[in-house]
Amino acid sequence: MKKLLAPLVGDAPLVTVIGLCKNAGKTTALRRLMVELGEERLGLTSVGRDGEATDLVTGTEKPDLYIKQGDLFATARGMMTLCDVTLEVAGLTGVRTPLGEVAIFRALSDGYIQLAGPSAAGQLPPLCERFAALGASRVLIDGAAGRKSLAGAGVEGTAILCTGASQDRDMEQVVAETAHICRLFSAKRPESPGLRAALDGCAARFALFGPEGEPWELPADETGAPRWNKLPRERCMLWAAGGITDPLLKTLARRGAPLTLAAADATHVLAGRAVLDLFTRTGGTLTVRRELPLAAVGANPWSAYGWHFDPNRFIDALRQALTVPVVNVKED
Amino acid sequence: MELTLELRENAGLQWVLDDLTPMSPFGRAAARTPVWYGPGEEAALERELDNVDLALGLWKAADGTPLRRVTRCLPLFHDIRGSLDRDPDNPFDLVELFEVKHFLVTLEQLAEAYNALTPFAGLSLRPMDAALDLLDPEGRRLPAFSVVNSYHEGLAPLREEKSRLEREIRTAGEADKPALLERRRVLTVREDQMELEVRAVLTKKLMAYQTEFLENMEAIGHIDLLLAKARLAQRNRCVRPELSADGALALRGLRHPQVESDLAKRGDEFTALDLKLGGGCTVITGANMGGKTVSLRAAVLSQLLFQCGYFVFAESARLPLFENVALILADSGPGAGGLSSFGREVHLLDGLLRQAGEGRFFLALDEFARGTNPQEGAALARALVRHLNGLDCVALMTTHYDGVSDVAGAHYQVAGLVRELEGDEQDDPRRRIARRMDYRLLSAPPGAPCPRDALRVCRLLKLDPELMELFQADL
Repeated sequence: MKKLLAPLVGDAPLVTVIGLCKNAGKTTALRRLMVELGEERLGLTSVGRDGEATDLVTGTEKPDLYIKQGDLFATARGMMTLCDVTLEVAGLTGVRTPLGEVAIFRALSDGYIQLAGPSAAGQLPPLCERFAALGASRVLIDGAAGRKSLAGAGVEGTAILCTGASQDRDMEQVVAETAHICRLFSAKRPESPGLRAALDGCAARFALFGPEGEPWELPADETGAPRWNKLPRERCMLWAAGGITDPLLKTLARRGAPLTLAAADATHVLAGRAVLDLFTRTGGTLTVRRELPLAAVGANPWSAYGWHFDPNRFIDALRQALTVPVVNVKED
Repeated sequence: MELTLELRENAGLQWVLDDLTPMSPFGRAAARTPVWYGPGEEAALERELDNVDLALGLWKAADGTPLRRVTRCLPLFHDIRGSLDRDPDNPFDLVELFEVKHFLVTLEQLAEAYNALTPFAGLSLRPMDAALDLLDPEGRRLPAFSVVNSYHEGLAPLREEKSRLEREIRTAGEADKPALLERRRVLTVREDQMELEVRAVLTKKLMAYQTEFLENMEAIGHIDLLLAKARLAQRNRCVRPELSADGALALRGLRHPQVESDLAKRGDEFTALDLKLGGGCTVITGANMGGKTVSLRAAVLSQLLFQCGYFVFAESARLPLFENVALILADSGPGAGGLSSFGREVHLLDGLLRQAGEGRFFLALDEFARGTNPQEGAALARALVRHLNGLDCVALMTTHYDGVSDVAGAHYQVAGLVRELEGDEQDDPRRRIARRMDYRLLSAPPGAPCPRDALRVCRLLKLDPELMELFQADL
């Protein structure tokens, strides 16, 4: 098998595989990466899945992963019976899920495992430390479909975004949606050191800053809610701690004045691509407190619903639209 | 005696319990359920206080290393009481066995550290080496568990065969894989069955030690709680109370930690109180905002802490043991069942008096009967004081009614608004009152009239001048 993904993730200590939608080929990409990484001792877990034994959306059983002797993995206690490796219990994490507390296991043989790790990415950093202490040289995370599995992970690492025919019948749509997500993930931290420092110190729901990060007063009504139409007309940076939604972005776009909108990271931008386009056309730019680099886009031309795209056309179309490397995860 | 949540909260005991810092789940469970030492349990209480004293010595020791060896183990325990509450025929799963092993390894470390200290009286940890050896046949004491080959004669050859097959699968072509994987699946099922047999045997053997497990958890919880009690006492300069020989309470330099902490946040200091309560009813009178209720709560809190085996918040304390301790607060709001605050007071009092024959009790009443008309209220309060004087109890009542102290066994008065000051008119009224108030309790002769300080308090609180004028004219 040709090494396609391993060179792209380099020596990132943590790789999260996320999907644009269900059946985007997340597991295929993960399996491929595991094979390509060869003898490396891995720590594996999943995040953002709420511990259900079967996939609620498609009704299919969650896919197995076949791991090698020596690998470590963290999964809910209730998943133990679905794993057929010879198990050693190496510790407990204190993270509770509907299928029981997440425990850390060491595989004493090769075999199949089922992952149901923490439901919130915020619980990952201590888990990654435990993996490292137990001897894992790299952590791989089976993320959820959608972006939430990266939110608040707070661990330096990289991600692989999986996209595929299951997203939509129309290939153009799939490519456009993938490009939209990649654009979000390409959002950078501000260049100005003042703005960087201002962002790092933000604790409020909203805050306003001048071009060099000097705090400006945010116009508010008597209830304390910001008055968007009173924002200054000159270029400034607006920090929003929560999710950035369609209505907020639309309101800001309608002002018709340039604005830099700062989010915690790309996963906090929930707005659709039409509204983001509108915002960008009116001079808006997006910046983030924490960059989430994408190492690669994995493409799966086969859908779970009966239709598929021509593999070469699909990969080419993606490569035309994206700056991130595109990999056909099914390629030999 | 039942320590109701209402009593714990009104007296401030809950605040103290919440301030404890036990480190293990067993210590936290012990802290949640205080042990009550009643009359006849003097020896057990003294032993508990001896132990707190011993723990205090450990915290104060110049070389903290021996204690740190113990305190390092305590947070490592997981609460596995749920796992142990099972039918021995129901096998532990792998994670449960890991937890049991983790408990036993930690217990071994704790026991070694604990046995190096002067042990607490009546508290020892039972060695469980045999149980640990079951889970650690190789004696490596590692914090991990798996069903190793030595548990079952069939495991080694089976795993050997499986491992060979897995190596084959790694290098096999896609076409050969399904058949190899199927052969592997059959082996994993057999391996699983053998592991189940091992788990069933281990569970039966381990469950034979159930009593030892539970007794050790109890002992760990108690050791942890003693250390937490001593830590609390050290942090708050608490003192070991002596058992009173004559049945009276004598408290010197008494404080209420909850009020003291609130004051400290505002930058103010608590005025420590001296209080002696003999048999019958003692009455406290004094200015509004003079701390009468606080002294009442502080006295009740000390009594509760003592009878739960804690040091008390005072410079010295001599306390007896009561069958029952009650606190009836005036402003704890209307009770349930359609009772007004007055109705509730009377109801609570009645309930208590009905149990009066069951043994000596301590009763504290805050401005009893203030919720009804002053003439009848005063008469009822006087009657109650007389009645209590005839019962086997120690009682303490605050009041604004004249004539109540005439019939009391003893009478204390808040020194009151004694300091004349000028020039702080712009300050917070509460602080202005505090600055002028002498909160000390002074012995007063029976029948000394209640101070008339309402007018000055209103003035300091900046009540509307027009209203003040009418008020003054009417006095």
